[in-house]
Amino acid sequence: MDNLTQLLKDADPLRHDSGLSANRERLRSAIAAVRPAEARPSRRAVLPRIAALAAAALVALVVAYVSGVRLTTPVAAQVRFEVRLAEDHPVPGLVVAQVENTGQVIYLHPEALVSNEDVAGAVAVDGTSGFSVEVQLLPGAAERLRQATSAHIGRPVAILLEGRVAMAPTVRSPIAESAVITGAFTEAEARRIAEGISRR
Amino acid sequence: MGEAERVPSGTTAQNERLTALFDAHADRLYRLARRLAPSVDEALDLVQEVFLRVAGASRPVPHGRSAEEAWLVRVLINIRRDQWRKETVRRREAAQSGPPLAETPSPETSYVRRLTVWRALEALSPRRRAIVVLHELDAMPASAIASLLGITTITVRWHLARGRHELAKRIRETGAPHGQPDSAVEGR
Repeated sequence: MDNLTQLLKDADPLRHDSGLSANRERLRSAIAAVRPAEARPSRRAVLPRIAALAAAALVALVVAYVSGVRLTTPVAAQVRFEVRLAEDHPVPGLVVAQVENTGQVIYLHPEALVSNEDVAGAVAVDGTSGFSVEVQLLPGAAERLRQATSAHIGRPVAILLEGRVAMAPTVRSPIAESAVITGAFTEAEARRIAEGISRR
Repeated sequence: MGEAERVPSGTTAQNERLTALFDAHADRLYRLARRLAPSVDEALDLVQEVFLRVAGASRPVPHGRSAEEAWLVRVLINIRRDQWRKETVRRREAAQSGPPLAETPSPETSYVRRLTVWRALEALSPRRRAIVVLHELDAMPASAIASLLGITTITVRWHLARGRHELAKRIRETGAPHGQPDSAVEGR
């Protein structure tokens, strides 16, 4: 469509713009003075501990399963719980993941914003389409989540259980002290998850 | 702003990388930013924000000119997309809460035409807009855009087709620019 191409060329702001040259030095020195990320403290230090716990729990489960013990009332194993920011399109450095029971694909940020030790408590809640799990966060984590999600409106946030994305709702407004994991859980499942999440 | 302060030695390697990235890619990023953002100032902010994100990123930018470029361009488009979404919400709220700002465009035909096209571009999502301007104004082939943005050529073509369609529709709706552009011969 030559017509449109021509219209775009006429409208191109760079035709009436001196380009970067006038501002290049100012911008360059601003960038040269940038301090490296004074980002929020890394959560890596605590992750190995949680991972080890989760791994131990998992081994216990597998062993119990293999040896034919039916775990109707599992010994409240920890359910690894994480909240991470995510994107709905590929970004270098992010990890692709599929949302459980859906075809939705998201891209996870590498660091967990919230995990088990940030949880004040979790309860199973009876909802319209099955049970949900409501998670209450400790104040520090709630503030961290509020800040992170307020800069993330319109983009997804992922809730992970045992490393799998249980749900990835789009952030409509900042999320703070509580999050509800909706899923058509049975009451027993919701209880197990709630108890597992509260376990540190 | 005067001279940049001396930075502590631990950060110099990163700052050197940042300035090297700036020197190699700033012009290219600005060109794209200016075509995606509503004003010069916003374009400059957008470029600066790209480098702030790079400085704060948990992983380093990959090395190699085209890998760097792809990374930076994608970051830029993502930032612009976030801004655009907020602007879109605000625009919608403004439209609901009061009369639109009075516009008194200059009667000059070419100016009106530019304004119309520019407004139409505002309606495209930044990614689609980026694809359209890279193709139409930088004459980048679809395959090159695909590898720059890390998407398939088919997706690029689809965005181009949708983008053209949306633009044409918007331009028609806003009232076709008076007078055809110089080379407007639409053969069919």
